[in-house]
Amino acid sequence: MPIIETRNLRKVFRAVKRKPGPLGALQTLFSREYEDRVAVEGINMSLEAGELVGYIGPNGAGKSTTIKMLTGILVPTAGEIVVAGLVPYRERKRNARNIGVVFGQRSQLYWDLPLIESFELLRAIYSVPRDRYKANMAHFTELLEMGEFLNTPVRQLSLGQRMRGDFAAAMLHDPEIIYLDEPTIGLDVVAKEAIRTFVARINAERGTTIILTTHDLADVERLCRRIVLIDEGRLVYDGEIERLKEQYGTHRTLVVELSEARDVAVDGAEVESRTANIVRLRFDRRTISADQLIRRVTERYSVTDVSIEEPELESIIRRIYLEGYAAPPAHAT
Amino acid sequence: MTLTQLSEPYLEFAKKAFSREATYRVEVFTSIGSLVLRVYLLRSLWTALYSQNVAPRGIPLHSMITYATVALLMSLVLEVDGTRAIRDKIREGSIATDLMKPINLPLYFFSDGFGQTIFHALTIFPSLLFSLLLVHIDVPAAAALGAFALAFALGYLVNFFLNFLMNAVAFWTLETFAVQLMVRWASDLLSGQILPLAFFPGFLGRVVNDLPFAAIYSTPLRIYIGDLPPSAWAGAFMSQLLWLALFGGLSYVVWRSAARRVVVQGG
Repeated sequence: MPIIETRNLRKVFRAVKRKPGPLGALQTLFSREYEDRVAVEGINMSLEAGELVGYIGPNGAGKSTTIKMLTGILVPTAGEIVVAGLVPYRERKRNARNIGVVFGQRSQLYWDLPLIESFELLRAIYSVPRDRYKANMAHFTELLEMGEFLNTPVRQLSLGQRMRGDFAAAMLHDPEIIYLDEPTIGLDVVAKEAIRTFVARINAERGTTIILTTHDLADVERLCRRIVLIDEGRLVYDGEIERLKEQYGTHRTLVVELSEARDVAVDGAEVESRTANIVRLRFDRRTISADQLIRRVTERYSVTDVSIEEPELESIIRRIYLEGYAAPPAHAT
Repeated sequence: MTLTQLSEPYLEFAKKAFSREATYRVEVFTSIGSLVLRVYLLRSLWTALYSQNVAPRGIPLHSMITYATVALLMSLVLEVDGTRAIRDKIREGSIATDLMKPINLPLYFFSDGFGQTIFHALTIFPSLLFSLLLVHIDVPAAAALGAFALAFALGYLVNFFLNFLMNAVAFWTLETFAVQLMVRWASDLLSGQILPLAFFPGFLGRVVNDLPFAAIYSTPLRIYIGDLPPSAWAGAFMSQLLWLALFGGLSYVVWRSAARRVVVQGG
């Protein structure tokens, strides 16, 4: 049985229509014309316990709206949601005990107090048994290396330290499900990696179900096997990252370093760009193999170095946003 | 779940609010300092006014000075507004994260405000001590003191729900400044904080005494200075309870519909 399931989930926001200009503003005061904005339209999603899914979409695609409905703080306009056997918006508080949430842009720690006091507060909120609290604290302090700043007021923590604190805070009560909303935003490379390692371990060791919303696709590539892609409130793709890559990854780029700067033309490949003596050649691996192409290039030009770039998830997804997702023909899979 | 488990988070909220207030030490000292100064100025003001024969019927000068001083000390507690966090949290959008916790939010705001209150209540003692060096205030009999404490507690709750309602307006408007200003202005004047309601003439005086604001300052203060005789206490408590029930009930209704429409800004 899936732990999270949505059926034909829909959310429409109703806003007062504003008219332009100062006179319009005055009119807006009295007129009540509404404008409907569809944020989420017919999302069907099903997650098994223990899955770690990347929930991806451009700004305004409806990711946060979905997460808010899953947490129970937003009521869907239509459709159904069941999270761990509960309908979140009907049983907000009971649902809250099953979930943990981390927002990259918003801390849930007590700003003025030492970090440890926020943890103690959360222990009380979730009625975490003392021994469980102690064990979790010891575990997280070690994993997230929080030892040196446990007694520092949160406002004095660096962003990286604060995020580690927020992760521990979201997991103190051993939630079955964790929603991560852009958890690595603004972090440096080292801090990002520390967070990713932590998420992977929590998922693997505790079997926690995790939905990860992010704009950093490196997070997704590193952590998730499955992604759910939405655009303008609609589900665009739901499946394995690998399959998406195979399907869209028919083009490769051969990067050639020449001994001198010059124009290049080769059959079977097009020049993507050229800067000084470095030329990028885009080719379709179904019409020409990398091996063939390299031979053709080296026959005609004096080459000092070559390398092949695989398409990154990022460029694939950019293409899907621009062109829409085209389901593969049946025989291709 | 046991009762301890149910109440623990809220006790903890109050404790955290207390420690949070205690972090700002300079503020504490300046607030005590400014209070002592205000006590002194009020005494001078009322003494001057009484020498010009503005005394209202039935309140001698020493009672008036007592009234003004106790009102000032009460304001230390009553001006703490834990529910202001509602408005701030709605504007920042952080109310979303609070709603993702298994807590009762109105109770959370109450506990948080209560924790702050306890802290400020503690600062009353040094303020009181310094004030006593400057002015002489009357101390009523034990029974009146007890009645005062009860009336004060009821007034505190009326004040909480009034603030709650005011700040909950933000759920619909996101902004509460105009409402705050209006209610604050009305309550400063009509609660008897600045001026005993006995100063309002005739019909106006009767109306003002029946408004909810009177339950906050006027009722406990009148008990304290002996303006309300013991025979009138029960009636005074009843009227406080009435307002409490009304505002409490209204807050419940408002919260129910607010929580249903939580439209969080942004995101």
